[in-house]
Amino acid sequence: MSRIILEAREIRYRYPHGMEAIRGISFHIRKGEKIALVGPNGAGKSTLLMMFNGMIRPDAGIILFDNQPIRYDAASLRMLRKRVGFVLQNPDRQIIAPTVYQDVAFGPTNLGYSETEVREAVTLALRYVGLEGFERRPPHQLSGGEKKRVAIAGVLAMDPDVLVFDEPTSGLDPAGSEDIIELLDELNHEGKTVIISTHDVELAYPWVDRAILLLEGKILQEGIPEVAFGNPEFVRRAHLSLPTLLELHTELRDRGFPLPEKKPRSVLDMMHIIETLFRKTCLTATPGTITICNVDQENKESLLGWLSSKPKISVGAMGTRAKQRAEHDQIRLDFTYGVIDKCILRALLGEDSLVLSTGSMVDRVHTRVGDYGKESGIHIIVTPFGSRTDNPTRDKEVI
Amino acid sequence: MHEQLLEDIAQKNGLREVNTYLKLAAGLGAIILCLLSTSYLPPLFITLILTCSILSLARVGAKSYARLFIVPFWFALFSVAGIILISGGQEAFWRWDPLPWFSLSITKESINHGFFVFCRVLGGMSAMCFIALTTPMTDIFIVLRQCRVPEIIIDLAMIIYRTIFIILDQVKQIHNAQVMRLGYSTFQESIRSFASMCGAVFIASWNAGEDLIRAMDARCYDGKFAVLGESRRVEVLPLVVVVVFLSLSSLVVIFSKDMAIM
Repeated sequence: MSRIILEAREIRYRYPHGMEAIRGISFHIRKGEKIALVGPNGAGKSTLLMMFNGMIRPDAGIILFDNQPIRYDAASLRMLRKRVGFVLQNPDRQIIAPTVYQDVAFGPTNLGYSETEVREAVTLALRYVGLEGFERRPPHQLSGGEKKRVAIAGVLAMDPDVLVFDEPTSGLDPAGSEDIIELLDELNHEGKTVIISTHDVELAYPWVDRAILLLEGKILQEGIPEVAFGNPEFVRRAHLSLPTLLELHTELRDRGFPLPEKKPRSVLDMMHIIETLFRKTCLTATPGTITICNVDQENKESLLGWLSSKPKISVGAMGTRAKQRAEHDQIRLDFTYGVIDKCILRALLGEDSLVLSTGSMVDRVHTRVGDYGKESGIHIIVTPFGSRTDNPTRDKEVI
Repeated sequence: MHEQLLEDIAQKNGLREVNTYLKLAAGLGAIILCLLSTSYLPPLFITLILTCSILSLARVGAKSYARLFIVPFWFALFSVAGIILISGGQEAFWRWDPLPWFSLSITKESINHGFFVFCRVLGGMSAMCFIALTTPMTDIFIVLRQCRVPEIIIDLAMIIYRTIFIILDQVKQIHNAQVMRLGYSTFQESIRSFASMCGAVFIASWNAGEDLIRAMDARCYDGKFAVLGESRRVEVLPLVVVVVFLSLSSLVVIFSKDMAIM
């Protein structure tokens, strides 16, 4: 287990002339974790998040960052805020400068970077969130999702260890929310600790490592999502709804179906449960293959040529850069969210799929598919793009 | 989305990529030449050239340009009418003395003078429009900083610029909410609605100010507001065009000295 990066010990906070927002909370967050703070409006989520970068100082109790109690003098706060990036709920409140470039450069400039370093940091951050070429645009002309990305880039430019997001998906359309969650996933994969607050149970449930349910300034339940969202009583009290998968799981169990202990986290898990339940696999004798293409290494012609030879293949893209590339090359994407699971589901139906990805994300496909294989006993072949392992007879069947 | 603002046109115009100094030189140079000229001809010449370049080079829609021009145009027309009637001269075409100490007349000199002023207004207006429609504020900030305008003024200007659009948005939302609930159905009602909107916007902007400080603090604010964006290089063709335009206009100024319409 990785080391603890943020810890709260018995913290309390009362707003001046107001109600007590935080009433004795203790918890810890490990490096590289994905944490969701979930709870109804007014539960104290935002207040708690603001304590992580020292915007609010608790009245009692201490918060430790990297095992050091947070100190509230200007210099320490600056260091803390460099390492804990905070993305506000409303990007209009976060974006302060008149152009995208200037806004993203705000943090690095104030940290005293040289002009070339600032430019480098800004270019990198904008590239990361997929907003290259937006440098001179004024924020008020951007869409909601783009503004959110600018706000995220502004924080990323300071290269923080911990990223705190207050309601990252509020006000975005479903596809936009999924894109942002994918982006957070990508960041987490790069080793950043990601903490979000949200109401969106369906989005949080499959995604987070651990969830903390808050109610009236106290922790109601804390743990892995199956536990945190698994108690209908607590979920009701926290004004949330049970994730559909868990509800389905409960309903099946109530009807006397013998279900495994492990609760499903994804549609793939659910499929697996149902298939074992009925002792019947709907899949063809041989599962389909998953081909991974690293878009940084392949050129457009070979990719399009390959795709035109397989008209029925499903294509998914993981990561901002892969999605941009697909759009640029006019490749129609079937999946943009939860790509690996969806490809495994295709493979179980005997269909082939292609995953467009970049760099480190490629390994994740192997890991996830390998894990699934171990769990279910079904071996799915994952081949890198361009290798000649494709079985020509299978291709004919597909066509 | 909101309707098209002047700034939105400027952000998308065809001359966006041209160096800001060149565009400002063309615009400001035109204004100065309009002021220096002693005849109606140079301002008309400048109006013609700049209007053509706004419409064809910057590719601003004729409708947007006309809408922008129409208000000062009427204003100029009425002011000039006043000038023609009030200022005197020798060769009177028409004269009326309603009061012993006050007379209205139309003379050759007053027509000449009025037309000259009118052309000057047109010239100045087209130059202002040229700057406003081709150079977004964001580029002007860069020029201001390079011209050593004090940092604090530029920072404030940038914050104001950014906030204008947020507050404008809020005004529209509140206004819509009021209209939907018949807030502007009677005169009295509209005064009340307008007052409450002003109050709400004041509170909202106060909050926005506090949020701004928080947002800046959260990103390690240390007295530096924002760096410059990059300014574009001076390219040969636009440079030549601006030089030719300004020298042609200067020639017109020199050769049309004291030329009058009548």
